[in-house]
Amino acid sequence: MVVLGDVLGFGPRPNASQLRLVNDETFWLMQRYPGYVTGFCYVNPRLGARAVTREVERCVARGFRGIKLEIANNAREASMRPVMLAAEKHGLVVLQHAWSMTKIRQRSFHTDPEDVATLARRFPKVRINMAHLTGCGVRGVLAVKACPNVFVDTSGAAPEAGLVEYAVAQLGAERVLFGSDAPIRDFAVALARITGASLDARTQRKILHDNARKLLRLP
Amino acid sequence: MNYFDANTWIGRWPFAFLAEHTPGSLAAHLSKHGIPRALVSPLEAVFAPEPGPANAHLLATTKNRAGLEPVPVINPALANWRDELAAAAADPRVRAVRLLPRYHNYRLKSAVLPEFIAELQRRGLRLIVQVRLIDERHEFHAMNLKPVPVAELAAFLSRYPQLAVLASGLLRSEVRALAPDHPRLLADLAFVEWHDTIPHVLAKVPARQLAFASHTPFLVTAAARAKLDTAETSAAQRTAIAASNLERFLAE
Repeated sequence: MVVLGDVLGFGPRPNASQLRLVNDETFWLMQRYPGYVTGFCYVNPRLGARAVTREVERCVARGFRGIKLEIANNAREASMRPVMLAAEKHGLVVLQHAWSMTKIRQRSFHTDPEDVATLARRFPKVRINMAHLTGCGVRGVLAVKACPNVFVDTSGAAPEAGLVEYAVAQLGAERVLFGSDAPIRDFAVALARITGASLDARTQRKILHDNARKLLRLP
Repeated sequence: MNYFDANTWIGRWPFAFLAEHTPGSLAAHLSKHGIPRALVSPLEAVFAPEPGPANAHLLATTKNRAGLEPVPVINPALANWRDELAAAAADPRVRAVRLLPRYHNYRLKSAVLPEFIAELQRRGLRLIVQVRLIDERHEFHAMNLKPVPVAELAAFLSRYPQLAVLASGLLRSEVRALAPDHPRLLADLAFVEWHDTIPHVLAKVPARQLAFASHTPFLVTAAARAKLDTAETSAAQRTAIAASNLERFLAE
């Protein structure tokens, strides 16, 4: 299980000490459940290169395998550069929260799938998980289709029918990851998005397990 | 477990890659998921100039589908609503009608509603209010539709405290906010979700006010089953939510 940390506890733009607290809690879970919990380092790109680099390196030393980005900023911003350089240097996966901004209109700090595609093209060596397939929708899948370094997870909103099948058809089964969005969603519902989809058992297994293991280079 | 689905649809939805169900394909799909009975309404009634033809098609095509109970859509903002209601009531299988206030451009405080409710009660029909059909953040970009506001629904329920109403498509927070103050409200669970959904909702809402709903074809049918099947709750509460609350609502 990938643990992203308590990313809602301090609002959208946590400071450095708040981030350390969140990541320390994640590390505690990694120690408590070794082999089960994989930690992602939560960062706020707007704190600047020095703060980002320091926190990422602190987390890497503790065995974290990814970076978690929420809604501190839009993924197109220049502030993303130190984050992506750190991810590239340490071979980390970047999980970028994303949602279609067509109806939400918060793009100044909230990332649209088109922004994920822009980020992916700027940093083609960094593997990115575009979170929330349901929020990104058909347009989001198409936006990142030509970016082979972008994966998409199946979380977000109510379990809208047909989207997982569409993502598999467009991106290939290897680029779709199971995501629960726990604790704000129900595990049983999240799992049923995959097990209840019109996909064969081999494809379901890839989404539910194999793809994440390969992406995170887990044993 | 005897499942009775409070919210399913036949027909075509133009804005997503959803199954276009006929009564036959819907019944087969629900059966595959262990759901023998369902209320069903026609999607064509959502965008048509008036819902009459879609209702007529629904009533004709569900005639030999014992598990599908037709729920015509009525638009009280149109001048022919009495005729439509009469046509619906003429079919003995019809026990409820569905309103889509936002899609049909009226409010629950509309001046026509008191007369409509009176006629509904005179005919012994139950009322279903569709609060949302899809997550409003994912509406087609050219449409400017919002769900029925909680305050508007609350005011409506307060005006008719004795009227049993099934609200379809409420979110978790909306159900928890509304149900305790409106004991005659039955809320379907289609859009209700949180970590351990059912115990979380039951902490605020009596089980008798909740109804199983898959919202097929919009949502993953298996997910609706999973939400209730995996819930750590009593057998009595599970049975009530799965079917008997909806049966009670329709029989009242």
